[in-house]
Amino acid sequence: MTDQKPLLEARQVFKGFFGNPVLKGVDIALHPGRVHALLGENGAGKSTLINLLSGALQPDSGTIAVDGKPVGRFSPAAARAAGIAVVQQELSLTADLSIAENIGLGAFPRRFGLIDYAELHRGVRNVCDMVGLTEPLDMPVADLALGRRQMVEIAKALFRRPRVLILDEPTSSLSAHEAGILARVIETLRDRGTALLYISHRLNEVQALCSHVTVLKDGGVTADQSLSGIDGEGLVRLMVGRETGDLFPPRAAANPGALRINVEGFSAGLVRDIGFSGRAGEIVGIGGLVGQGQEDLLLGLYGAIPARAAKAEVSGKPGLPAHVGSANAAGLVYVPADRKHEGLVLPHSIASNLILPSLGRLARNGFRDRGAETRLIAELAKRLTIKGDVARPVQALSGGNQQKVALAKWLPLDPSVLLLNDPTRGVDIETKREIYLMLRGFAAEGRLVIIASSDTPELVHLCDRVVVLREGRVAAELAGEAISEEAIVGAAMGVDRKGTAA
Amino acid sequence: MNAVKSIFRNPPLLTFVLVALVWLVAGLTLPGFGAYGHLRYLLELAAVIGIVAAGQTLVILMGGIDLSVGAVITVTAILLPLISPIWDPTGLVGIALALAIATGIGFLNGAGAAYLRVPPIIMTLAMATFLQGLLVVVAGGSAVTVSNPAVILLGQARPFGVPSGVLLWLVVSAVVLALIHRMPIGARFLAIGANPLAARLSGVSLTRNTLILYALSGFFAGLAGILVLGMNRQGYVGIGDPYLLTSIAAVVLGGSSILGGRGTYAGTIPGAILLVTTTALITVVNASPGWRSIMFGTLILALLLISGREARR
Repeated sequence: MTDQKPLLEARQVFKGFFGNPVLKGVDIALHPGRVHALLGENGAGKSTLINLLSGALQPDSGTIAVDGKPVGRFSPAAARAAGIAVVQQELSLTADLSIAENIGLGAFPRRFGLIDYAELHRGVRNVCDMVGLTEPLDMPVADLALGRRQMVEIAKALFRRPRVLILDEPTSSLSAHEAGILARVIETLRDRGTALLYISHRLNEVQALCSHVTVLKDGGVTADQSLSGIDGEGLVRLMVGRETGDLFPPRAAANPGALRINVEGFSAGLVRDIGFSGRAGEIVGIGGLVGQGQEDLLLGLYGAIPARAAKAEVSGKPGLPAHVGSANAAGLVYVPADRKHEGLVLPHSIASNLILPSLGRLARNGFRDRGAETRLIAELAKRLTIKGDVARPVQALSGGNQQKVALAKWLPLDPSVLLLNDPTRGVDIETKREIYLMLRGFAAEGRLVIIASSDTPELVHLCDRVVVLREGRVAAELAGEAISEEAIVGAAMGVDRKGTAA
Repeated sequence: MNAVKSIFRNPPLLTFVLVALVWLVAGLTLPGFGAYGHLRYLLELAAVIGIVAAGQTLVILMGGIDLSVGAVITVTAILLPLISPIWDPTGLVGIALALAIATGIGFLNGAGAAYLRVPPIIMTLAMATFLQGLLVVVAGGSAVTVSNPAVILLGQARPFGVPSGVLLWLVVSAVVLALIHRMPIGARFLAIGANPLAARLSGVSLTRNTLILYALSGFFAGLAGILVLGMNRQGYVGIGDPYLLTSIAAVVLGGSSILGGRGTYAGTIPGAILLVTTTALITVVNASPGWRSIMFGTLILALLLISGREARR
């Protein structure tokens, strides 16, 4: 199957930014009819390699070859002409344009110089059927949930009938159902002879879909081999270069303490009239398909969006927090899923981000106490193993380290309730482990951890209790032994209500 | 080489160096430019711009803009002589009243932006138009002469040879720099300017900070209005108009991002001096007012290209 010559390859490419080498002599070859996995922790150089392969960046040295022939100056236009399409991790859709317009953008069929909408809709309908997009084609993308937008992004790549398709973490915002559709699309493309490059932090997907793997570590290739006969642990070993033990820390004996949050008849955003409670020392998971109200539940409890409840008690006081300030005062903190837009002030330094919630607390006589601030920042950076100079802008950090900053900034407040929205999305496996350990630690210290997640294994292995939301209502509440991937996915899809704890 | 590079990485310093160069070259080539009296006069003019731009800097750092500063200056300059009570020999009551009015106007700007969610550019522009109309109704378009002793002292006195306006500017600079760099609220403004959503979710109150900032901008514009009144001894409709664009230009010349989130008042200070110097140089050239305006606009653009370039990312 792979004895043909590669469609797209990189030979000994080097690339550095501002004197920091990111890729140090990397080889990769994408063959037709093969799903090639690219693994590596955040900061290993995966995104840079993708940018080189798609012409967005030029290598400092080394060559990119299409059909075995080296190309001189590879540009995004040349890459498109060569049939290379990329599904980016950061969504690149225009919110105000319709689904069809987004998919066709840059490749509109023309008629007398005008866009031929009839032709466009025919082509778009075709790719939308492939990825299971049933929404009307003239619907603005802004009206779609994040997971559906990702499917539009994938359809957009398919619309160009690529010979090489690069998928950068395509499932990070997809529900299990959508991820299944994507898997079938990938298999279809593979059988048609498309060369695929698949980047994901979810190892079970990699195992299920891919037949060959390239592993990047610190800008070099540490493995380039067939995936047959390698299990999940073997993959992890390839990535981190050593035994990792279990990804999830052992579950402590469930020993919940006082009631920290108790709401009844709670409504906020998509969430309608639900009951929810959490006790000190618990890790409560919130699951469900993407966009079923998980985020609104957290934001409503945090006072960041308007919410109301028939009965509410938060941190021992009646009533919901009216705004973020009063939620913080009550010991509630929130770590958003979209750390780039909601969690961090990207252009500002790591230090400024870490200190932001503690500014007022550390001030003396209305003036900032620089000594105390520096000490606190150093302590936080050490505690969360955030390496390097804290005066760097936080956008220079890898995704995993950014997430650590977004979490670490709350620790000085000694929060009693942590609201986390998909805290491990796009985070490398080592950092995931660190975060899981930390969350377990928080629970053991008697804090309540509420975590909304799109990663089902995370809910199963980390949480003491899982609440599954469906269309803004509680579809199931699972505890202890009843928590399983089948039960969560089943409840989320609304198919099987057996096996749910009362 | 490294020293040159670090100057280019530091917009406030770059603007300072630019001012020094212009003063040096102009002092050597133009007779009378380098005289102490002339430089002192330039600083006195720069003080007004610098004080207006203090509030403007704060607002811009938070990602907003205040287009009502010119109108607030005019309002203060016209109302102060009218509301200074005769029974107060010091004139301080009149100043306090005028500053309270200016701050109140700023507060209303903030309330519109924070509660009614009116974009600041619209809110402050509407406020400016409203105030100008109000002044025509109240003052009838005629100039008012000031007799308030404190205001005249502020505009005319020169303790130790330094104009008191410049001394006032020094005090304002110290306060604003401390506010931005030494107080928690300054870090909050910057966070809001760079990413309002992340700042809000981090517990920074947008409403509270917006109200404070626009009130401060009104206050500083009022202060500048009193200074201008003292220097002119007369208030008239339109007296504050030149200070709107110059206050914004001084902020941007100083390297602060017009989009918010990055910058410092330390850049606005040389920015204000640079603007005044440029105007003075154009006046020296014998040209018609039309050509002077054209040259001034061109020069501001050119200066922005030099000092704003490196700060862009």
